[in-house]
Amino acid sequence: MSPSVDYHCHCLASNSAPPPPHLPSSSYSFHPLHELFFCEECDAVRCNRCVSVEVSGYYCPNCLFEVPSASVRAEKNRCARNCFMCPNCRNTLSVVPSDPPDMDDGRSPSAAVSAVGEPPFFLYCNHCRWDSAEVDITFEKPTGLAAQLQKYEDSAPDSLEFERLKEHFEPFLRASSSSALAGPPPTAHSHHPHVNPITAAASSALARDIPGVGKYTPHPRGRRDKGPRDDMVEYRSRVEVGGSSTMGEADVEFMRHIEEVSEVAALEQRWANSWATSLHTSDLKPLRIPLHSKKSKRCPTCRHILIKPEQKAQSVRYKIKLVAANYLPSIKVALPQPMDLVRRGAQAARPPGGEGNSGANGLHAGDTYPFTLSLTNPLYDPIQVRLSVQRQIPPASTTVASDAAPVEKSRRPPFAVSLPSSAFPIAAFAEAWEYEDDEDMFGVDDDEFGFEAREKEGKAKNKTVGVLEKRANVTVVGGEVVIGKDAKGEVKFNMLVSYTYRSDDPLPEDDVRGTPSRTKAPEMKTFSFYTVVNLGSIVPRQETKMDTDP
Amino acid sequence: MSAIPATPRTKTSHLSPTTPVATPSTSRVAHAHAVQASPHYQTTRRHSLYGTEDRIVIDPGSRIWKVGFSGEGRPRDVFLVGPLWGLRRATDMAERDEEDRVLEARLQAHIRAVFHDSLLTEPKSRKVILVEHPLLPVYVKEMLAKILFGNLQVPSISFASSHLLALLSVGRITGLVLDCGHLESTALPIFSSRPLFPQLRTTPLAGSRLTAHLRALLLLFGTYLPPPTSLSAPTNLPAASRSTRVPQEVLTDAVLEQVKTRCTFVGDPLDTSSDMRVMSPSGDDSMELDMPPSDVAQSESDFSHISVDLDSHMESSQPASSGFSVVSRSQVPPERTTRGETQLQALANMYTRHSTATDLHLKVVPPVAQQTGTGKGTLIIPGWVRERGAEVLFEGGDVDEASVAETILDSLLKVPVDLRKTLASSILVIGGTSMLPGFIPRLHSELMRAIASSPSSSARPPMRPDRPRPPAYDRYAVLRPLVPHFAILNNPSPPLPTGARGNNHAGKAPAFTPATMAWVGGSLAGSLKTGGVEVPREKWDEADAQQDPDENTPIAIDVSSRRAIPNVIPDWTRTPLPVGAPPANPPHLPETAPRAAVGA
Repeated sequence: MSPSVDYHCHCLASNSAPPPPHLPSSSYSFHPLHELFFCEECDAVRCNRCVSVEVSGYYCPNCLFEVPSASVRAEKNRCARNCFMCPNCRNTLSVVPSDPPDMDDGRSPSAAVSAVGEPPFFLYCNHCRWDSAEVDITFEKPTGLAAQLQKYEDSAPDSLEFERLKEHFEPFLRASSSSALAGPPPTAHSHHPHVNPITAAASSALARDIPGVGKYTPHPRGRRDKGPRDDMVEYRSRVEVGGSSTMGEADVEFMRHIEEVSEVAALEQRWANSWATSLHTSDLKPLRIPLHSKKSKRCPTCRHILIKPEQKAQSVRYKIKLVAANYLPSIKVALPQPMDLVRRGAQAARPPGGEGNSGANGLHAGDTYPFTLSLTNPLYDPIQVRLSVQRQIPPASTTVASDAAPVEKSRRPPFAVSLPSSAFPIAAFAEAWEYEDDEDMFGVDDDEFGFEAREKEGKAKNKTVGVLEKRANVTVVGGEVVIGKDAKGEVKFNMLVSYTYRSDDPLPEDDVRGTPSRTKAPEMKTFSFYTVVNLGSIVPRQETKMDTDP
Repeated sequence: MSAIPATPRTKTSHLSPTTPVATPSTSRVAHAHAVQASPHYQTTRRHSLYGTEDRIVIDPGSRIWKVGFSGEGRPRDVFLVGPLWGLRRATDMAERDEEDRVLEARLQAHIRAVFHDSLLTEPKSRKVILVEHPLLPVYVKEMLAKILFGNLQVPSISFASSHLLALLSVGRITGLVLDCGHLESTALPIFSSRPLFPQLRTTPLAGSRLTAHLRALLLLFGTYLPPPTSLSAPTNLPAASRSTRVPQEVLTDAVLEQVKTRCTFVGDPLDTSSDMRVMSPSGDDSMELDMPPSDVAQSESDFSHISVDLDSHMESSQPASSGFSVVSRSQVPPERTTRGETQLQALANMYTRHSTATDLHLKVVPPVAQQTGTGKGTLIIPGWVRERGAEVLFEGGDVDEASVAETILDSLLKVPVDLRKTLASSILVIGGTSMLPGFIPRLHSELMRAIASSPSSSARPPMRPDRPRPPAYDRYAVLRPLVPHFAILNNPSPPLPTGARGNNHAGKAPAFTPATMAWVGGSLAGSLKTGGVEVPREKWDEADAQQDPDENTPIAIDVSSRRAIPNVIPDWTRTPLPVGAPPANPPHLPETAPRAAVGA
């Protein structure tokens, strides 16, 4: 895995400090920058786990038809036009006409062939060559296929049985609720004066403990007819499982004699069926394509809209878009190629020719690695940035490994991270044409500069930590990580980024791109956020060279 | 009502026994007046255009979730969530906190996906029915509630017992429901829509155990053919010479899931009843009786349907006794390795002899270390493994892990005597594992078998060698008169009616699949404007706000010391014990008002 930086959203935890990075749960609190939003009112980062989502429109992902929300429910969130998925491979099905009929009596077929083709039409999968004629689904017309199938769906055994169950329970519920409305449950002696009082007393004593039972019997006469056993008439199923052809012996016999696994439909193809269906793959029906929704998202606390897409299904633009990438400096982390490390004589510890093995194949225990963080300022104002490694709970130092808290000893990360401790500036964002020439924008020629910088690093070791490079709105700073001798796991640390910005001179068009919060003009404001920097996994030292893949 | 107490021997039977259990269950499933208690139900009988009255029904399993709208006959979406929780938690508190954090994050992602991706609806306007398993851990339930109320702000959550809802989906309110799911099989008797929670019985023999067992069987008896080394010469080697034992890496969860859901079925019980206990861990002596060593040699030559590769594989695997110890969770502990191996071999031979199921070839991804060839490898699943893999669910005799049939019978034993006949004649089997073809008919015959012969008698050694065996403890003797009444409501191939009254219920249930019955019942309850105990968000917020003074609740199960969740989530395990005899005129308790009844 290449080194990465993720940003923290504190919605999962009660306090704003991020969880320690070695916990597996911490990964749920950190997100890539491009997934985050920024609420201007709350001055806070919001993530997809905490925003409240509203549907602003439904559309079919296949035909891009915008479905009015009134019909979404009736159509079960699925496209009600011509869009179907193959039950086997989930590819989109296409409607194809039948072959023109064979004119074996020799007459001219010219009159028969129409522009759309010959009915019956059926659905065909271009990927796995499944076609709906296999399951006896054909269509008279090539349009409105879902509507033609709708009648089958409405008369599906599960929905009919469901309605029957509803009819079965409804009078029962009505009776019980009406008797509840009428007051206390009718006691037995009020209806049956002929029983002796002792029995009545016993009866009411029994009925008292289980108040439901008395009320379940809406009418004494009815009770006598039905007997007290179930208090309800017995439900007669429309289709009884014992009489249905599936799920019984036939299925067992079928399973006993299958030759290929593919003869049996996969669980995913069957599990949404609430009605007993055949196990055979050959009986699968085409699926209507589920609709998608366009969602607008709001801040969970202040209810302001963070992002709102344009209504049209074809459009990929947004009416409102407050994404965190426009407010927070983006950070990229990189482990430089280990040429300087090679020069340090570390190559004995790793296989030869392993270019990039520090980044991709892991870091080696006991070594020291420089890394670079390149920060890009999205704001129209220059900012001052200060980086610090998150303090572990008791100690306070940027180098984590030097903290010796005995309680935390087992948890203490087995590496030490050095970052530039002083604040450094990043220039304001400017459109490309605002730069005088290329040099302003790119600094010196990129490759050359980078190479030289690295060369310099190699020669002057003290240059690894600190500001390495500044160009346009990008500043590259270097850090260093010292990995302990018997370290293992991942080099992953939380980093607090604080930046100070000035919002005195807003550009006229910077409503969206502007300052994070429009406060009083010349004031300096500071915003801090946490990130987790993952440099890669450590290759333990004791392992041999062959086991570079742990 | 009045006639009932007059004849206490015959008719009161099902009334009086409920008295002791009425107290715990009333709080869970309240009475009919609760329907009236919520004015919402009275006013919104009809669906609106946008159907916002339809509630969201979520059936959250530990592995598979089913979600949809109430009033519909099938769930809108079913998806795998992976094993979210298991039967055990970490003992270390810090570890457990961490586990809980991960679980909560995962639950949150899944619940958000239910609303935003599966159902495309806004949670703020939707009431939720949460189908809860009676043994759903309280901490999970509270997490679900916390996410639904806190993160998604749903207006209310109704908690409804999955077993009861399943019973509704077959049009009944009384029955004995067995849920054979992933983690556990749980039998729960329900009378007149009240779950008799104290009579609940459970066993860990369920889907995950079946998976583990299949893995062990495939490791021992499966065959793996690596992909051919080159495309040009794919057939130059006979399959038999390429076959190897199954590498463990091949049997990924996905492969096993496929084996379980697409290849496995449940065969009829074997003729001799003693054969069935062959695999039970305590059945050492019986094993020797059942399988004379001559069987081993005999069967291998006799039965031609055993494929050549399988045979060769078996022979090759036999001396590799060390390989056996890597089999996880096998029935035979490692110290009996060689003995276990021969026993298993004998077992395999016996099953092979009785099985006519075809061997299956499954394409699998070769392990990383062996990716020398081209394409995919082949896993050969012996037919008897497909047919007999599920035997593990029907092996009785273990006091801690009763078989599925024994779980039903044990629950029946705990039920008051007068209810037994009613419940025995309305057994309902639900849950994903019972979707295995042939599971329910087999369960019926297992029930009959377990009653007919007392399995614990053989497992009991004589106290002293010079004395005769003590009289066998015949656990299910009292149930024996009920045999003609036993009926599984959703038995797809019901036995011929015996003429007993209850017996004709067998197979009379609607043909809903066992796996979705609980969901369908939830949908039904939602469309009938009823449901389990409903907790409105205001109540949650209120309790959340005054979290600290809330500590004096009567019996607060200490779920998590980290954050004390207010005790507004109903749970039957928290019901306070009854305090003596109930008063003569039970007051209409205001606090039970929002608790609507299911089917009552």
